[in-house]
Amino acid sequence: MITEERSLTSPAAPLATPGLSARARALAGGSRLRLVALVVINLVGLLAFLWPFVLPVTPGVNENHANDGPVILAVLVICLGAVLFVELGRGGLGPKTIALLGVLGAAMVALRLPGFVAGFSAMFIVVLVAGNAFGPGFGFLLGAVGTFASGLFLGGLGPWLPFQMVAVGWVGMGAGLLPRTSWPVRICSLAVYGAIAGYLFGAIMNLWSWPFLTTGTAVDWDPTAGAATNLRHYLAFYAASSFAWDTFRAVGNAVLVLVLGRPLLGALDRAARRMRLEVSR
Amino acid sequence: MSALRFDAVSFSYPDADRPALHDASVSIDEGTFALAVGATGAGKSTLLRAANGLVPHFTGGRFSGRVVVDGRDTLEHAPRALADAVAYVPQDAAASFVLDRVEDELAYGMENLGVDPVHMRRRVEEMLDLLDVEPLRRRSVRSLSGGEQQRVAIAAALAAGPRILVLDEPTSQLDPQGAEHVVAALQRLVHDQGMTVLLAEHRLERVASFVDLALGFERGTVVPGEPAEVIRRLAMGPPVARLGRLVGWDPVPLTVREARRLGGRLAPFELPVERHDGVRTATAPGETLVRVAGLEARHGESTALRGIDLEVRRGEVVAVMGRNGAGKTTLLRSIVGVHEPTRGSIAVDGHAPTPGVDVALCPQEPEVVLFAETVADEVRATRRARDLPDDPMPMLDALGIADLAPLHPRDVSAGQRLLVATAAIAAAEAPVLLLDEPTRGLDPSSKDRLAGYLRSHASGGGAAMVATHDVELAAAVATRVVILAGGEVIADGDPGVVLGDSTVFAPQMTRAFGAGWLTPEQVAGALA
Amino acid sequence: MHPAAWIVWATCAGLVAFTTTDPFYLGLVVAVSWFVYAAQRVPGPTERSFRVFAIAGLVTMAVRTALVFLGTVDAGSVAFAALEGARLATLLIVFGTFNAVTDPFGVVRLAPRRFHEPALAAALALSIAPRTISMVGRVREAQRLRGMHPSAWRALPTLAVPVLETGMEEAVTLAESMDSRGHGRGRRSRYRPDRWTLGAIVVVVASLIAAGVFLVAAFTGSPALHPSTFPLTWPEADPRLLATIGLLLVPAFLSRPSVDDEGQVR
Repeated sequence: MITEERSLTSPAAPLATPGLSARARALAGGSRLRLVALVVINLVGLLAFLWPFVLPVTPGVNENHANDGPVILAVLVICLGAVLFVELGRGGLGPKTIALLGVLGAAMVALRLPGFVAGFSAMFIVVLVAGNAFGPGFGFLLGAVGTFASGLFLGGLGPWLPFQMVAVGWVGMGAGLLPRTSWPVRICSLAVYGAIAGYLFGAIMNLWSWPFLTTGTAVDWDPTAGAATNLRHYLAFYAASSFAWDTFRAVGNAVLVLVLGRPLLGALDRAARRMRLEVSR
Repeated sequence: MSALRFDAVSFSYPDADRPALHDASVSIDEGTFALAVGATGAGKSTLLRAANGLVPHFTGGRFSGRVVVDGRDTLEHAPRALADAVAYVPQDAAASFVLDRVEDELAYGMENLGVDPVHMRRRVEEMLDLLDVEPLRRRSVRSLSGGEQQRVAIAAALAAGPRILVLDEPTSQLDPQGAEHVVAALQRLVHDQGMTVLLAEHRLERVASFVDLALGFERGTVVPGEPAEVIRRLAMGPPVARLGRLVGWDPVPLTVREARRLGGRLAPFELPVERHDGVRTATAPGETLVRVAGLEARHGESTALRGIDLEVRRGEVVAVMGRNGAGKTTLLRSIVGVHEPTRGSIAVDGHAPTPGVDVALCPQEPEVVLFAETVADEVRATRRARDLPDDPMPMLDALGIADLAPLHPRDVSAGQRLLVATAAIAAAEAPVLLLDEPTRGLDPSSKDRLAGYLRSHASGGGAAMVATHDVELAAAVATRVVILAGGEVIADGDPGVVLGDSTVFAPQMTRAFGAGWLTPEQVAGALA
Repeated sequence: MHPAAWIVWATCAGLVAFTTTDPFYLGLVVAVSWFVYAAQRVPGPTERSFRVFAIAGLVTMAVRTALVFLGTVDAGSVAFAALEGARLATLLIVFGTFNAVTDPFGVVRLAPRRFHEPALAAALALSIAPRTISMVGRVREAQRLRGMHPSAWRALPTLAVPVLETGMEEAVTLAESMDSRGHGRGRRSRYRPDRWTLGAIVVVVASLIAAGVFLVAAFTGSPALHPSTFPLTWPEADPRLLATIGLLLVPAFLSRPSVDDEGQVR
């Protein structure tokens, strides 16, 4: 009879707050090179979204290539999403992560029902708290998977989906990088982040359609103008179009975090503890 | 030839103060039908999970000793590596499904093992036949009944070819028909296929007579032995075993037939009721609290209730029985006031019922009720909402769960959760208390506490209605039994008469000794 | 039909619409989409996608046209805006058809090996969602049964927490089940892979040809694709391009998806 004591206790429970850099490094699987690569990929993706400002800066652009922007954006975003997925999935996600993604993704799908637009806003609370509880990698995956699933469920797979998936994924990822030193700090930072994310999300998604709108007024995208001029135009466009929606969403996010944050995060932390889940994934 | 062997296994969950298993040594041979028996928290689930490596690979914690499955050491093989050797089926089959269609679910395990498609098709067909689920093959798993889901879960776990099957309380969520199908399937697997089956179960009357080996669990220690001996020693078991212990038979009977032989003939019971054991309500029933007249109600597209006339008086505990779909849940929900009748009237204390005020209902899934941080807070929340003094302890004491007060409601066992939910519901102090299928997943000591509470609630001037499949609970606690079928009342009266008259709903004592004999205590008193 | 074939079809039809603002071509694409929808839609919740997307398309077109009134208003600019809007609407309608003819689980099954796990997570979210939705209803009712009628704000935690906590427990059971059944063990095989039928191959080829023709026309700067609005002229309708759009009609002639007694797509 062999009796050996094998200790298989997992590392500390997630409420012990590792620092930001440690968490970010854990996200990249411990390799600094991979972390740099991930950051670069994300920046490239962000730049792709910002192409209406970037492209005019490139000299020699003429009318014929004005339509290239969206194509470049589409290709880059899809590649970005794919690379991120592959990177995060390296070594296999594992049953625990998949099960959590499934259950939380189902919650996102369920929240979508009240309305195509209003429901979309409600989805955010899940991504915010789950990203905060389980880490930036998980937050990104959940944002993407949940958005995809809710699009499938409602029969709403549209051309905007890859961009939405990445943008919501970013919201989740950011939530995982917030400080967690104490409950008030955690909730407040998440609420503020939720509000900012609400606006940024709207602003970025609008960028996708803005260049197609030519009204002949000062809010149009002008491929021949410089970045600064276009930025001014865009802000005006944004103020006129989705600012109201996004305020609704930003305020909604913040309020939901303030009301639901503590109980939901508590439940998720307990689950993480019980599942012996490493926060980085 | 040992299929599954535990050598001095000790295990503590992380963050736990005492070990869940202590020095457990058991050897289970091939082709054995083994049963894990013991109170909740004694370590049954832990041992089952150790059989396929979930303990310790999935759960973490401190582990010592060795578990050898099919010649492999679980410490050296992760659960996924053992998938072809041992199948694990959890209690909640519905939550364990990965895919949507039944046949896809069966194939999932084999896909993971990289089995080639031709072989997979054949195995899927075999599993469908073996567990008798072939007609369901294209259905969505979420649309199946509880018993069907359990059999599909078993088939899915077996599809990859393991010869050892481990099940955690497979019949606790099922009604008698579903449970019978599952137990029959397990027997086929053992006797016709030579598989090794290890299961944990509280509803011993369903399985005790079929098993070859029993493992008795007491606070983390395991002692294997003959089923009758283990059950006698642990003071558990089906009513016939309890009777055997009360009267001093050794070995205790595990089946009705054995009990008859040992008990001989008893004088026919004098009906109607005059209880010898004194546990019925001593007081005669009082004024009418609930009056149901001509009630008709729909459930979705179909008619669930057709013209129900019923009266419940203070001091009564009414057991509402009937097969699935007979209308029990609809009846309770109509009485509590959340289900609109299409015709007829319901009056509680003279007026239309207000949920939570006149009538309180504990639904089938206690989980939906619990939302607070601690058990005490659950009770406090209800009492504050009703403007009652918010000290939770009297309510918790009444259900025997005062020691759970500081715990998180989800950190307690399934049976205790039901008691917590009942406490949260009953804390509203409604005179009429309704319970819908409370015995799902309920362990014996929790069942006793629940029965005790129902009796004291009734004798305190309230009334209770319990919709249940559990014949033994009805026999133990009901002052009246109502049987529903097809939305109508087909029997209503004294438990001894109604249960004695029925073949399906007869408790073991009735089957052994005749109508009117309901509990082991009664019979023991008469045999003495 | 193999879901990948539908994806190819939808992408190509979308590309065709993207390259032109000629109302005749766009109109024909819309008509083709409708025919394919009518012939191949899968009964079920996604069936109404077509109508939803069509309405969204009309709204988009109306909004786009209305935006013109912010600036200079003349026949030319209104026409231009209307055509831009029409293009967007056509794109949406193509997607509406796509949603209505594909089975969501089919799309998930398509995921390449690398994406198998996230795809599985998405499929799980789809399967579990109905249970989550009904759970919310039951939790709400449970609050009523306790005699508790919390105000809207207080009700949110009492609703969200039980649903979430039950979900978490079910996730543990699910993860245990997946682990016990060998998830992540090694190379996977596939039980019933979608098969490529001749019809699907024909659809793919025809769609690629159609998209190819229009893409070439776009790259060579063919004026036929973008009718001039300054000055406003009647748009062209090249019969060859019209016929090319006709290639997108092939899926409508394939056998209808049959639904057996259990509501499953064959």
